Amino acid sequence: MSGARVAVVQFPGVNCEAETVRALECAGLETELFRWTRPPRELAAFDAYVLPGGFSWQDRVRAGALAAKDPMLDELAARAADGAPVLGICNGAQVLVEAGLVPGNGGGELPHVEVALARNRMPERTGYHTRWAWCRVEDSPCVFTRGLEPGTLLPLPVAHGEGRFAAAKKGRVEALAEAGQAPLRYSRPDGAIAEAFPDNPNGSEAAVAALCNPRGNVMALMPHPERAATLGQVGRAIGGSWGERRERAFAAADGSAFADGPGMAFFHGLARHLAGNA
Amino acid sequence: MSDGAKRTMQAYVELLAEDPEATSALAIARGRLAAGRRLTAVKRVRVFELSGPLPSRAEVEALLHRSTRFYNPAKERCTVRAGEREPAPFQRDEALVLVVDRGLERRPAGERWWKHETGEKVEVREGTVWALAFEPGEDAAARAAELAEVRDRRHGLFANPHFQDWRPGEGATPPWPWLERPRKRGKESGS
Repeated sequence: MSGARVAVVQFPGVNCEAETVRALECAGLETELFRWTRPPRELAAFDAYVLPGGFSWQDRVRAGALAAKDPMLDELAARAADGAPVLGICNGAQVLVEAGLVPGNGGGELPHVEVALARNRMPERTGYHTRWAWCRVEDSPCVFTRGLEPGTLLPLPVAHGEGRFAAAKKGRVEALAEAGQAPLRYSRPDGAIAEAFPDNPNGSEAAVAALCNPRGNVMALMPHPERAATLGQVGRAIGGSWGERRERAFAAADGSAFADGPGMAFFHGLARHLAGNA
Repeated sequence: MSDGAKRTMQAYVELLAEDPEATSALAIARGRLAAGRRLTAVKRVRVFELSGPLPSRAEVEALLHRSTRFYNPAKERCTVRAGEREPAPFQRDEALVLVVDRGLERRPAGERWWKHETGEKVEVREGTVWALAFEPGEDAAARAAELAEVRDRRHGLFANPHFQDWRPGEGATPPWPWLERPRKRGKESGS
């Protein structure tokens, strides 16, 4: 353990908290589940925060819209302004976007909502969609991708109905990506940026899979890294080096299927960042 | 059967039981948003607008009732409005906020079902109406406009302007048509 403490912030309806806690602990981080019933001021005792996936408040009104108004977000915004890392995964990403913490370019302590995670736009289908997607690491100041070379490809599962990064102003999401605020973009298996479904699984503008704030300490990530925390979790259809490693691990039958999967990269990145700040 | 003439009808669908979405929206708006402090009630109603060669109101009601594409009669009630002067299931003093997902208002599955059942090509659009009631003396339309569009985590709730449009309405006779109107940005159409 590095001595750093991470809070996994759970709102009612969140359902990925257990695997998120496990992945953080596997990265050597002391982790505690922080339920919505606790006083928000107790968040100050932690060094980093993760908002896991699920359906906070049953997605009432709009995914992430109600949790974004919770007093917990005031505390998280204050801690983020002090530099504490905050990661939102899937529904957690929707909460961070609805609260304006991502991309967080204006408004000071009360940042404007600058983008949306809109309903998926897919050909010949609507609604919830789940699949493995290739994601390409981009050059950015994001603390969660620290240590990953730009261009690195990670296969990660996506599972959502509202995962399309969109902005009212045309070209805004692309501009954020060009400014280094898109640490992860959907790609084809050969590493080229995804231009269409299914490589871009939701029609996200500029194929953005994750956005971060300019400082890089807050990231809204739509794929689920905690569901790709071990090699054995990597999908059967995944080829390339990750697929080969998965096959070798199962063939060896020596427990190596429990070795780190592609999703652990983000949790190790957080651990490296916290260790560097210790 | 349809006589071939183009008509528009609106179908308002609301839960028979208490609506948890509306309950949560009321609690959050009252507790966390300045514009919602004097809010007394919130009602959520899904609205379908059908346009094309529609049959009589009774036949439309029967079609909507038997389809699984529009509502569930076991837990929802549907009010069909066949003309501008006909009432919708709202009170006169309620401020209405219609929210639609920009570019995704059309419901292809509903349109395919209609074509399959009747042979007619009908356009189906869907949105969500939030009916807001305030304490007496409050400027309901102004407060509803403030609550409609999200600006930051203390302002706005019902529509995220980066992918949703909102359109105002008031009282028991909402705009006609409402969803088929030329699209405008929320702020422009609401102020």
